[in-house]
Amino acid sequence: MAARVVTVDRKAVEQLTGVLGIPATLRGLRVTSTHFFRNLWGWIVGRPQVRTVMVPEEHDPKPAAFRGMPVLVAMDNGKERCVACGLCEWACPVDCIHIVPAETDDEVERYPLVFDIDMGRCMYCGLCEEACPEEAIVMSAKVEISAFSRAGLLWHKDQLLTPVKTLERRLEHIRNDYGRR
Amino acid sequence: MNRQVIEPGRDVLNLPVESLELKLGPSHPATHGTVRILLSLDGERIRRAEVEVGFLHRGFEKECESGLYYQAFPYTDRLNYVSPMINNVGYALACEKLFAVEVPDRCKYLRVIASEASRIADHLTCLGACALELGAFTAFLYAVEARESAWDILDEMCGARVTTNYVRIGGLAQDAGPEFPQLVRAKLADVARLLKDFDDLLLGNPIFRERMEGTGALPAAELIGLGVTGPLLRAAGVPYDIRRVQPYLVYDRLDFDVPVGTVGDNMDRFLVREEEMRQSARMIGQCLEQMSVGPVDIDDPRIRLPGKGKVFQRMEELIAQFKVVTEGPRAPVGEVYQAVEGGNGEVGFYLVSDGTGKPWKCRARSPSFSNTQAMSRMVEGALLADVIPTFDMVNMIGGECDR
Amino acid sequence: MSDRVAEEGPEGAEAGGAEANPLLRSLKERFGERILAIEAFRGDATAVLAPAALLEVATFLRDEARPAFDMLLDVTAVDFLGRRPRFEIVYHLVSTGDASRVRLKLPVEEETPSVPSLVPVWPGANWLERETFDMYGIRFDGHPDLRRIYLYDEFIGHPLRKDYPKQKRQPLIGPGSQGEAGGQGGGR
Repeated sequence: MAARVVTVDRKAVEQLTGVLGIPATLRGLRVTSTHFFRNLWGWIVGRPQVRTVMVPEEHDPKPAAFRGMPVLVAMDNGKERCVACGLCEWACPVDCIHIVPAETDDEVERYPLVFDIDMGRCMYCGLCEEACPEEAIVMSAKVEISAFSRAGLLWHKDQLLTPVKTLERRLEHIRNDYGRR
Repeated sequence: MNRQVIEPGRDVLNLPVESLELKLGPSHPATHGTVRILLSLDGERIRRAEVEVGFLHRGFEKECESGLYYQAFPYTDRLNYVSPMINNVGYALACEKLFAVEVPDRCKYLRVIASEASRIADHLTCLGACALELGAFTAFLYAVEARESAWDILDEMCGARVTTNYVRIGGLAQDAGPEFPQLVRAKLADVARLLKDFDDLLLGNPIFRERMEGTGALPAAELIGLGVTGPLLRAAGVPYDIRRVQPYLVYDRLDFDVPVGTVGDNMDRFLVREEEMRQSARMIGQCLEQMSVGPVDIDDPRIRLPGKGKVFQRMEELIAQFKVVTEGPRAPVGEVYQAVEGGNGEVGFYLVSDGTGKPWKCRARSPSFSNTQAMSRMVEGALLADVIPTFDMVNMIGGECDR
Repeated sequence: MSDRVAEEGPEGAEAGGAEANPLLRSLKERFGERILAIEAFRGDATAVLAPAALLEVATFLRDEARPAFDMLLDVTAVDFLGRRPRFEIVYHLVSTGDASRVRLKLPVEEETPSVPSLVPVWPGANWLERETFDMYGIRFDGHPDLRRIYLYDEFIGHPLRKDYPKQKRQPLIGPGSQGEAGGQGGGR
């Protein structure tokens, strides 16, 4: 098991060209026409062979590991799971998370009074999700954040709260994966 | 225009000549990565070429110095953004050298797979862009379609195609699932199929060959003096590949070829990169065979976050989670340099630690920087048209060159 | 799991390691006093030199040392603010034959931040030294073209120095600017 040093074959390239480049041209035509007819057939039978996706009308299927924008998990009663411990704020390399904690008389005493994420700064790195000890902030599959102003990119708690049902796939992935260690 | 009228009888050979200054870039379509080349031309000949970089400087080192060790990972993605995983791996290896930890085998294999898939993506981008800029648009589309498949592998591993942030100090962000090997093999088959089409369409083409053959060559000794590494140096016949001469991770357990060229011109560089892609695919295949199920992270709560399952239930792990996230792992005082073989050459990370959770200095040695420097020597005396294929083969990646 | 490789001292600079390195030993023997210190932390051979000896040591490493360290990989500086000497210029050399590596370090005082340029030995040092000048304000004597490389000429200060605040803003330049700091966006 070791690496061998080999020399690349320039002679082979010369042979590919052939007399006056005619074989090379014919070979090129074969490649492009194969692609053309395959794509044409795919289009006729309704199974396109091209990778083009008509965003935003349609989207590529996303893998389970996909990291979109971070959102807050809302429990069934509509409250956030977050206890405002601030770990995500610490972990965030670009300081895009801002939390103001507060206390209540509920069973879980602490909650975030303010929980803002500046989506204009966020780089979807997922360190907040990894740091969170409560499964309260997760990377959703959402990626579309466009807004008309910079202020519109500052997402507040009510915008970030996402029902737990829609995040099941991601939560399952986290449990499968981070839980394994 | 003041046209000079040549009077009869005047010595036309000794007319006053002045060179034409031409600014190529920074927004020329062929200067992807944003670079400006100031050319001083004598007709079609290049007398002097001066490359100006810095258009994409974002202060990578300053950012790294102000964050904890683990917070630099997302920034390393953005060095060479065409093969982000290799930077991730390089930085993680540098940190692990500093912390003196060694990751489990499965982690090493996954890192190699990630690096090699990135390398395929990197070379495909380079070769595809080269084809595009020499007029072969269709070939570019095939290369980009193949790159899509390579990125699908990365996507499956980490959930992002370019901004990967996958590797961690002492492990990986996540393990690969059970269907992973199957997916990788299918995607590699796609890459191989498209690469064949790419070759058939492009390699033998007389126009392409004429632009590539005999252009941009420099002797190996000069390249070494200029600090050029990677495919550029290997095309000139120097088999300096860190995976071969100083194997890291599991490269010493893999069977692969290091392609070298003979002349060192753009054609050799092209062929070397092509062959490297095939070798990368071979390595990934071997990794999939050799790798076994097991942990991917080290079991050291001082360095790597404990698993979420434990954090939810046990106090000690919860405390460890808080400590690692807020203070970061404490590094011993010292300095390390760790190099990995990137898409364009030696990617090195030089870390200086003062014993806290933040790197005192985090330096990225980027291959593109040195390679781009050599670019002006490569085109001096050549024709203006040779700048484009040479620049393509130098493959300057702005993020990496300008940091 | 083989988590921790051999525990090393907190400083890690195991003196025996450096003495055991034949290259560092030969450097020490040949250049004597001018090699201020030798270290080997985590297997990285390091020699601390007096700036005046740089060119001689570099030429020796390139031409006479076996293996020959024929490539200069990197030039950078480290700013130890509050320590004397404040700067350390760091060179990484490699031998393209067997990838042996050596690191050279040059302590430089804050008042006279200048060292000899390595461009005569390795032409590749050109941009690397320009970058170090740009980022740290270290002057390289004998450099053919010591200008800023990443930043523009009107930039004030050297951003990688530790006393340069990360959030500092530079005056706007170019047509239409009033020379005022800021502009909207960015910042915090």
